[in-house]
Amino acid sequence: MGGYVLKRVLTMIPTMIGISILIFLMVRLLPGDIVSVLAGGDIGSDPELIEQARRDLGLTGSYPEQYWRWISGVLQGDLGVSLRNTEPVSTVLLNALPITAELVFLGLLIATVIGVPLGVLSAVKRDSKHDFAARIGGLIGVSIPSFFLATLLLLFTSKVLGWVPPLNYVPFYEDPIENLSQFILPAISIAVFTLAIVMRMVRATMLEVLGQDYVRTARAKGVKRKVVISRHALRNSLIPVVTVIGFEIGILMGGSAIVEIIFGLPGLGNTLINAIFNRDYPVVQGATMLLAFIFIFANLLVDLLYGVLDPRITQE
Amino acid sequence: MSKKGTEERAGGGVTRRDALVKAGVVGAGAIAAGSLAGGAKASTRRAGAPSKIRRGGRIIWALEQDPVHVAPFGAILTSNHWGKQAAYDSLVEWDKNLNLKPALATSWKIAADQKSITFNLRKGVKFHNGKELDAGDVKYSIEKMLAPPLPGSIVTVSQVPGFEGADVVSKYVVRLRLKTRDARVFGFLAWNRYSPIVPAGLYDQINAARNAIGTGPYRMVGFNPNDRVEYVANKSFWKPGQPYMDAMTLKTLPDEQSRIAALRAGAIDGATVSSDGAKSLANDSSLVVLKGGTAAFRELQFTIKGDPKPWHDARVRRAVNFAINRQAIINTVYNGNGNYSGIVPPGYGSWPFTQAELKSKYQKFDLPKAKALMAAAGQTKGFSVKLSTFSTPLEFQQIASVIKSQLKAINIDVEIVAQEPGTFDANNGTGNFEWDLTARGMRGDIDGYLSEYNPSNTIYQRWYPLYKNVKVWRAIGNGKITLDPAKRLPIYKGAQVQLMNDLPQIGLIQVNKYQVVNKRVQGMYVAFDDFNTGLRNNVWLAS
Repeated sequence: MGGYVLKRVLTMIPTMIGISILIFLMVRLLPGDIVSVLAGGDIGSDPELIEQARRDLGLTGSYPEQYWRWISGVLQGDLGVSLRNTEPVSTVLLNALPITAELVFLGLLIATVIGVPLGVLSAVKRDSKHDFAARIGGLIGVSIPSFFLATLLLLFTSKVLGWVPPLNYVPFYEDPIENLSQFILPAISIAVFTLAIVMRMVRATMLEVLGQDYVRTARAKGVKRKVVISRHALRNSLIPVVTVIGFEIGILMGGSAIVEIIFGLPGLGNTLINAIFNRDYPVVQGATMLLAFIFIFANLLVDLLYGVLDPRITQE
Repeated sequence: MSKKGTEERAGGGVTRRDALVKAGVVGAGAIAAGSLAGGAKASTRRAGAPSKIRRGGRIIWALEQDPVHVAPFGAILTSNHWGKQAAYDSLVEWDKNLNLKPALATSWKIAADQKSITFNLRKGVKFHNGKELDAGDVKYSIEKMLAPPLPGSIVTVSQVPGFEGADVVSKYVVRLRLKTRDARVFGFLAWNRYSPIVPAGLYDQINAARNAIGTGPYRMVGFNPNDRVEYVANKSFWKPGQPYMDAMTLKTLPDEQSRIAALRAGAIDGATVSSDGAKSLANDSSLVVLKGGTAAFRELQFTIKGDPKPWHDARVRRAVNFAINRQAIINTVYNGNGNYSGIVPPGYGSWPFTQAELKSKYQKFDLPKAKALMAAAGQTKGFSVKLSTFSTPLEFQQIASVIKSQLKAINIDVEIVAQEPGTFDANNGTGNFEWDLTARGMRGDIDGYLSEYNPSNTIYQRWYPLYKNVKVWRAIGNGKITLDPAKRLPIYKGAQVQLMNDLPQIGLIQVNKYQVVNKRVQGMYVAFDDFNTGLRNNVWLAS
């Protein structure tokens, strides 16, 4: 097991190097750097000032030189500073990460807590009205984009209830009620798609598992139906669900950007989008590297969880 | 002149002439102080009647774009100034009708050679850190305007008039030295976008990107990028009785539907919305919709360089101008709200053409004339062209679509290329386009709208090096150094007449800006300068 983990961690290194090069090049392939964007038509500065601005921001030198400057800083724990507000990138990310992490955690919690029982119910009561309702709900859930749902929720609560979530971010440890009332709508917005996926996945795998010999054998031995479902069938149905959730962690960390913008949450996605618009290279690079790391790490955790859920799976 | 309202009564404001009399100065140099005065209509409606002002309370105002940073010098984004505006003052200021008023300087005198201006500072003004304003602070601030530290950008120096430096004459007297005569100085200072006065050594005392120390009506107590700016009242503000509110929160909410929802729910007190957004809130009895023209106008740009193109011929550009039905654009995209605009926006003092002049002469929709001009240019069969514009906000693509359909009538096949704003800005700034549908904003001085037609300007070489009109060049050069507005006006009018004939760029329309406020918000107005100036200077809360 230890060897397997070490091997996986080591494979992360070339992956992260590859990602860092890709990110570095991709942000520079966007037309215009921060200076040319700043010095657009409305300003029209002379070339000398533009060159000086580039020097001030450390944007001179060839791409390999710039990459080396950046990556050697990263390896020493220095992600650089924002070109737009001179804030250290690590500070920018540390401020934004807890917000997105909480949003994703709550979203996945809602998706799992509702999605798994719904999927089980749907499978156990196959072709019942519960099943049909859950399947139709699932179809709607996978079809509705999170940003659209977020807007609908906001308009609904503001128009019907005269309420919108508190606008100013308050950490959970400072005021849990205020914090949760701020996150409830955004969390629902990002949860619905994952919830629908989880529900459909659980239903499908449960139906398959419920037809297996060992389930029939357990029932034939007189084990209660509830026990068969919860201890034998459900546990074996969870492996694909864990895969989906692990995958969704990475997707939602970056994919919740629009929802963060809609609800005015200063999270990682919101920060990244603004940094892209502003051509703030160090922030874009730092945020994307962080998201990539989270994605890879979440997948590693998922792989390790397989063995816990099903001891027959070994990490050889 | 302007109607006497809340601001004037409370702030002791004066008209341009009053200011000059108060300053005790006479002569051509002095008159330059009133660069924009005379008829700018900043808003069509104010929130609340000027009744008895109630003090106290906190306002929550939504910003549609994050300020990113609040550094006083070298910032380019409009939203940066939204974030910092309440904290800083300049030597002079505009009232809501763009009349010049004394601010941190109570009077000034322009030297006989017009190459220096001596400012007498207001005594007893305190910065937010308790330090008293003196001439050393002004000298330091002028130096920073000329060399803005990071995160400000050196590129904004091109916006600064020909300042050479500043000298401390005495504790409350400072002399501003100019490289040459320059009519742009007072507009630049009054605009305050690039010209705040800060305490000497500010950048050594705080992180100016995240904090502010000014003399403004509100003291910044917090700024979280992508989230909010927090202000409390400056109890030592130099205008007696102001500010009216105890605190102000500027919350970044880029999504319009979020702002609308928050307005409906009473979670925010005010925000800027689109014309459609304003329409959807018009019937909400708890809200007031404010509307007003701003300096922002839409424009069609051409590149006139490189290989010959049909639009290098001025007759083709004139044909395009006459084939565009601006009223149709206003009706289709802006629910009928907007004005025609030349290259100087309506409302910018007495400098632009009147609506009547534009509608009946310079921008009259006249398809037969357009077709005749195309024929005269040998372009009866027309041509194809790429028209680049912003991908967001969507109104730009909508305008482009209307133009595309209108220009079909003269056989011009327009291909719309929607670009991400950063990409668009970069391409525009380097002249990497055929036609651009773009937006223009506020300028401190009339020269700001015409300087791009000056061949010594870098942007001229990037956009239209093949365009030549010596009369225009001469007018711009003379206008910049002519300090008497009475003499300046015909110079710039003449240049505009030339430019309306040559059309290296085609002004299109001025759109209205909509700001929706809760009924308890009093004294707010849509500021012509496109900032939230009313919020800073005028607003109080009824309950």
